[in-house]
Amino acid sequence: MDHRYDIVIVGAGGGGLFAALEAVRTNPRVSVAVISKVYPTRSHTSAAQGGVNAALANKDKDDTVELHLFDTVKGSDYLADQDAVEYLCSQAPAVVRELENLGAPFSRFADGTIAQRPFGGTVKDRCCYCADKTGHTILHTLFEQCLRRGVTFFNEYFLLSLEHADGACQGVIALDMRTGAIETFVAPVVILATGGHAKMYWNRSSNAAGNTGDGQAAALRAGIPLKDMEFIQFHPTGLRKSGLLVTEGARGEGGYLLNRHGERFMARYAPQKMELGPRDLVARSMETEIIEGNGFESDAGSYLELDLRHLGAEAIRKKLPQIRELSMHFEGVDPVEEPIPVRPTAHYAMGGIDATMAKTAVRGVYAVGECACISVHGANRLGGNSLLDILVFGKLAGREAALEAPERNAHGITPAAVRRVADEIGSYTGHERYERYGIIREEMGKTMGDNVGIYRVEERLRKGVEELRALRERFRRIRLFDTGTVYNTNLIQILELKNMLDLALCVAVAALERQESRGSHYR
Amino acid sequence: MERREVSFRIYRYNPQADRTPFYDNFRIAVEKGITILRALNHIKEQLEPRLTFRAFCQAGICGSCAVRINGVSRLACTTQVWDLLTGSGDGPILIEPLGNLEVIRDLVVDINPIMEKLKRNYSWVRPAIPEEEMGRKEHLVSDGEFETINAASDCILCGSCYSECSMMGVNRRYISPPVLLKAFRMNNDTRDTLGCERLREVTADNGLWDCTHCHRCTEHCTKKIPIMDGIHRLREEAFERGMTQSEGARHARAFYDDIRDLGRLKEVTLPLRTKGMLGSLKMLPLALRMGLKGRRPPLLVKRIPQIERVREIYSRLEANRGER
Repeated sequence: MDHRYDIVIVGAGGGGLFAALEAVRTNPRVSVAVISKVYPTRSHTSAAQGGVNAALANKDKDDTVELHLFDTVKGSDYLADQDAVEYLCSQAPAVVRELENLGAPFSRFADGTIAQRPFGGTVKDRCCYCADKTGHTILHTLFEQCLRRGVTFFNEYFLLSLEHADGACQGVIALDMRTGAIETFVAPVVILATGGHAKMYWNRSSNAAGNTGDGQAAALRAGIPLKDMEFIQFHPTGLRKSGLLVTEGARGEGGYLLNRHGERFMARYAPQKMELGPRDLVARSMETEIIEGNGFESDAGSYLELDLRHLGAEAIRKKLPQIRELSMHFEGVDPVEEPIPVRPTAHYAMGGIDATMAKTAVRGVYAVGECACISVHGANRLGGNSLLDILVFGKLAGREAALEAPERNAHGITPAAVRRVADEIGSYTGHERYERYGIIREEMGKTMGDNVGIYRVEERLRKGVEELRALRERFRRIRLFDTGTVYNTNLIQILELKNMLDLALCVAVAALERQESRGSHYR
Repeated sequence: MERREVSFRIYRYNPQADRTPFYDNFRIAVEKGITILRALNHIKEQLEPRLTFRAFCQAGICGSCAVRINGVSRLACTTQVWDLLTGSGDGPILIEPLGNLEVIRDLVVDINPIMEKLKRNYSWVRPAIPEEEMGRKEHLVSDGEFETINAASDCILCGSCYSECSMMGVNRRYISPPVLLKAFRMNNDTRDTLGCERLREVTADNGLWDCTHCHRCTEHCTKKIPIMDGIHRLREEAFERGMTQSEGARHARAFYDDIRDLGRLKEVTLPLRTKGMLGSLKMLPLALRMGLKGRRPPLLVKRIPQIERVREIYSRLEANRGER
């Protein structure tokens, strides 16, 4: 089936939905389609708990856009594009108010204004929040407003290819997961908003299973440059099996980090602050312990322990109920009785599709949110700036797209291009193929964690690059066991793995090339 | 870590290959602490790559992986295998797709009907602020106003309540609990201006008044949202707004009046008061069949002796409502 739209948005998280909403508000006559591999409310935006930064000055009356700008640039280890950061921070108050105006629930201060709380790396309390579900409520609000405006959704469509000709966007090719049909979406403007790629660390990632960088990989194959791929943010305490986050609060309340000798090893790394040292230092120390064999061994890999038992059942139940529930749900461990198995976990990708104020090198192709590198986070991102990033640049891209689309025409997508992707999918089922998805994916996650993790050493990075190259070679013989066309998740797994392998090699090579220590990248 | 071999019995159906659905059995070694989702992933990767299910965040916030586990709708990613085993038991643990929705394949169901119903019932805020003034200033909202909709805004649209709803089981066109919850959330948002239109849509046929108060939605909500409370509040609002002329509203009114006056229901005249003369005549065959089976409501209903105590409950409820 062939579709024609003025604007096609790939990805229905906060960035994609705000872009869609802004596009139809800017020009109600442009036709907009949003395609997404998951139903919009299931996008990873929902997992952002903390909040969104904006210098509303509801809490600290002397907070300003300039202070927010400075915090962000400093946090980025001075690698951010400062013009882009200025736009991000100056738009923040209006975009948060606008969301509020559109019905997003926010926690409130006694005077009825949006509540703000402190967040790491900022000099003022400027993080606006809705309990611990800020991303979830923002995502639902934007989805509701898109329903209100009659935005067209193609849910459970998987991006296969981004098409352009003569330096101008022609549209995308996507797979309808429900039928298995390959469909073309011809459009002079495409906005990529496909989310991050930190799932390439697999079990050592806090990300959703689908954060596989589909937009980034499609852009890369279409010849659009990626930028700053070496910068991956790690969080010290992820759960061992799932990588899900145990928030800093657990250590704030006095939790101990222990190795398999029962030692509070942080005494050797940060004798003063112990477990409460800076996030990247704690993560690095934990990684060192694991590499040196001081971790506990398990099927799910080596880990350390976060021990809360000495705080007492009462304190754990009262002050850390979420963490207790999380450990019980996802590790089957009650922290009142047993230590929580943890290890550092990949959390966020600062790098992505090279974009200047959301515009990429190809005319008509935009990129926003975690899949993009507009370079507002530089070498390290501040908490509360990722939701802000998707809102501000999602909105900007939506508006620009609505102004640009009517003036441009897409010629179409060639049958040869469609044949190419169809042939590739067809080739996965050959009987001479024997490599298994699960094994290659497991090895990819392991080599990324072991060799391209927090602590980056030339020798190990070289090993990582080598192993990833070998895995990509093995991927050429991967076997698709499910030959059906209806909702073939085995096929989706393979397509996602291909995207992750391509991007993982980018991350590893970029990490090898950057010989300095900068932000999240520690050499 | 404790390990055990556990059996899983999983619903399978691929419309391209299977004439009818069937159940597949798998036996795998699992470690304590493993969730149902991890077990499904293990089976898919090691034993049966064609096993089809949805999953995304793995953290209980996206709602993708809702399935029926041992007959109960819940999230696969937050359900521990160990919690489903009794003593030294080893299953089998039964895993099936959500109910009341069409199966696309195996454990994947079509959730478009939920999306369509959300759309039809104005499941969004229409703000009072004009478009050109957006983003200039915040509404001032008290913490109390936020608290009213706080729990309802936890909904992740996982579909568990939709699957468990007993009304959905007999009428697929029924509005459904998540859509009613959204309507409650919107109608109690002080920034919204669509209350009346939304409620009119929600109270139309197959709507608000068809809920049977079975409370299964609340019982099975994966986010522990008191969905029934929201439905009750919407019904009260319908009365407050004078939307009393629908069949459902008249039915509720008849209950309300009878219990207040007599302490019990006058069943014989209930159809007349709910459905009117013509509607009641249509029900005559049903009434006759019921009579033949021995179900004959008394023609005369006596007031219960302790009616004063019933009326005291009424006056307390009225006082409560006044306060709110």
